[in-house]
Amino acid sequence: MASSDYLIDVVIEGKPGARDPEGEVIQRDLIWKNGFESVKSVRVAKLLKIVIQAKSAKEAKMIVQRLCDELRIFNPAAHSVHVALGKSQD
Amino acid sequence: MFLSLTRDEKALVQRQLGRKVTPLEWSIIDAEWSEHCSYKSSKSLLKELPTKGARVLLGPGFDAGVLDVGDGYVVTIHVESHNHPSAIDPYGGAATGVGGVLRDILSIGSRPIALLDPLRFGDVTKSGHSRWLMKNVIRGIAEYGNCVGIPTVGGEIEFDSSFESNCLVDVACVGLGQADTLVYSQNGRPGDQLMLVGGSTGRDGIRGATFASRNLTGNEKDRAAVQVPDPFTEKLIIEATLEAKEAGALRAMKDLGGGGLACAVPEAVSSGNCGADIDLSLVHVRESDLIAEEVMASESQERMLYVVDPKRTRHVEQILQRYGLPYSTIGHVIKQKVIKVRKSEKLLANLPVDLVVQAPLLQRRSLKPKSRRVQLDPPRSPTNMGEIVLQLLASPSIASKSWVYGQYDHEVGVRTILKPGAADASVLRLPNGKFLALTCDGNSKHCSISPGLGAEGSLAEACRNLACVGALPIGMVDHLQFGDPGDHEVFWSFQQTVRGLSRYCRAIDLPCVGGKVSFYNEDSDTKIAIKPSPVVVVVGLIDNKAPKLFGFGLKEVGDALIIVGSTAPELGGSEYYEQIHGFSGGKVPKVDLRNERKRIENIVKIYREPGIKSVHDCSKGGLIVTLAEMCIEGGLGASVEAEQIPAKTRQIDELLFSESHGRFILEVNRKMVKKIMKSLEDQGLPVACIGQVDDGSHLRLKYGGKTLVDLSVPEMKQRWAEAIPRLMGDIV
Repeated sequence: MASSDYLIDVVIEGKPGARDPEGEVIQRDLIWKNGFESVKSVRVAKLLKIVIQAKSAKEAKMIVQRLCDELRIFNPAAHSVHVALGKSQD
Repeated sequence: MFLSLTRDEKALVQRQLGRKVTPLEWSIIDAEWSEHCSYKSSKSLLKELPTKGARVLLGPGFDAGVLDVGDGYVVTIHVESHNHPSAIDPYGGAATGVGGVLRDILSIGSRPIALLDPLRFGDVTKSGHSRWLMKNVIRGIAEYGNCVGIPTVGGEIEFDSSFESNCLVDVACVGLGQADTLVYSQNGRPGDQLMLVGGSTGRDGIRGATFASRNLTGNEKDRAAVQVPDPFTEKLIIEATLEAKEAGALRAMKDLGGGGLACAVPEAVSSGNCGADIDLSLVHVRESDLIAEEVMASESQERMLYVVDPKRTRHVEQILQRYGLPYSTIGHVIKQKVIKVRKSEKLLANLPVDLVVQAPLLQRRSLKPKSRRVQLDPPRSPTNMGEIVLQLLASPSIASKSWVYGQYDHEVGVRTILKPGAADASVLRLPNGKFLALTCDGNSKHCSISPGLGAEGSLAEACRNLACVGALPIGMVDHLQFGDPGDHEVFWSFQQTVRGLSRYCRAIDLPCVGGKVSFYNEDSDTKIAIKPSPVVVVVGLIDNKAPKLFGFGLKEVGDALIIVGSTAPELGGSEYYEQIHGFSGGKVPKVDLRNERKRIENIVKIYREPGIKSVHDCSKGGLIVTLAEMCIEGGLGASVEAEQIPAKTRQIDELLFSESHGRFILEVNRKMVKKIMKSLEDQGLPVACIGQVDDGSHLRLKYGGKTLVDLSVPEMKQRWAEAIPRLMGDIV
């Protein structure tokens, strides 16, 4: 099977329930103060767009998940990480 | 529900209440009776420490110790640690540790003005994990301190493999206030409003205090106890709180730390002999589905509990609104000495205050470890002294820490006069024209061989550091960090440590004004306790409006080098044994308690004399390292005759590397040598001229007619300065 390039999105964010001071400030001091009161919550996260050569989308995701875990690209005590297939890069 | 209460403790609660205990009541008692909050294992021993003194306005048992520095001003001081949180999330754990101690200083109504950070990590030369911890702990401290605008003016670091998975992250904070506007917790009275101010309450950090009162495990549940630091909210809290205090609206206050509301509410009202009635549905929360136990036990950061004069609540609200700080009025102080907790109309807890805040003390057994009686043969003296000196200068415990303090803003606030690295203690300007000197010390290597002597020695070194900038020690706080207190040998070392500190304090009349105990520090894999790690933070006062202040760098070619104090064969626990021979054991340095006070006072006096150019104390690495540091800092050379050193040994490695206490090196103008030496001799202190400052930019040491050490100052400087950046990967 031929290899091709896959775009994998890695989203690193605070664990559910953890505080997010940056998101709180954006919500309170930017969004709410300027009239968008219908906004219920803002959470700031980090998005890594990784292009990787692999045999399948499944394999691409697996490798990225592994590198996240092994290289401590996030701190499992503080963050959660979500690995998903991004928009195709053909 | 998981409770860390013992079976006896549970039975006691049942008996005292004589009814069914509600889940919320259990969780309140569990938090307040944790080792972290109740000191149930340590309290009876801690009573041995002297706490009184002419300058002491408030001693241990409060948020901070208070020392009178004259003209109506007070200095407040407190020390905390965040060991377990930092071990799993070094950045967040260390940063929130800084936040916590700042709020302790704030709680008493004083403004935090300086931070110090004593740290302990595993062997960073071998362990990548320890380097990761160190890098992120220091980043956490730096970013939090720098963002709130409070200078980190000092610290101290030790490395030892016993801290591999349980690093120690201590933070001390010094505050400044006025004696007549401090806020004491006993001032709350019935009818006062209880306001919860700052960040919203969430699930983060739930059960942190009970978590700190257990051993570290890799358990996933523990991993939820991470808090996210928010220094900008902290800065707003500091300013808003001080403004409300200035307005006279705060009767009392308490920061929310370990145990959250469960500890803060009872502690805020108990010393005023009152109770509290609070409604959890009024607390501003981050998640709407929190249960009562979670709201009560949450250790979400950046929160304060105000006890507000009911006539002034409007004023306080206006201040908080102006700072954009969330708050909620959650209840009020009541006359009856009970803690009532409701959720809307439903009463969930109704506990006598005394039951909550007076945890039964534990009687712990102590047992002297057998292994300590084993005598090991000391290693033989080597011949390549020059190379050994270079190795010691590059050992992480001795090497330049500028990689660390370079990340800290140590000048913000423009009070810092002597900065980290330049002198043995940092010096800050006080508003009354006097100067405050700060330092911290600890020596786990000495303590692991002899906890009592090691504890005395840590205090002795700290006091020497202060004397080296001309400051008289006026008060100390201690942070005592040990393994599981249920282990008899661990408890023995704790007991010996407290007694050692106590002996030293009594010998020089130094009051202990506060402190902290942290147990259950042990390696998560091996279950071996950390080396006993008492850390002391000592403040000194320069009671002189226009002192000359100088660091320990050599100043002028031709000056004489004088040593004060005698060198003894005391290599036990030394850097030399550890780094060069990989040997731990031997005779630990012993402080000459009888003459210690006289010695400190005389160095302080001498410091002010004309003709004294620099003063440096001998500690880690011994006499030769002290001399090397003076050369490196001043960029000048020195020649020294080892025969001249007053000593109880003639063996060269003991002369050079013994870490004997009570020793100072002075750089003195030639013309003043006789006078200075005579004044010290008259006091009965051992003193000798051992050499002079050279222009040759070499440190040369002769013994028995032979030159044993001949090192170029630039080479020493390079080894010393590059060691830590190299370890941390900044120099490849």
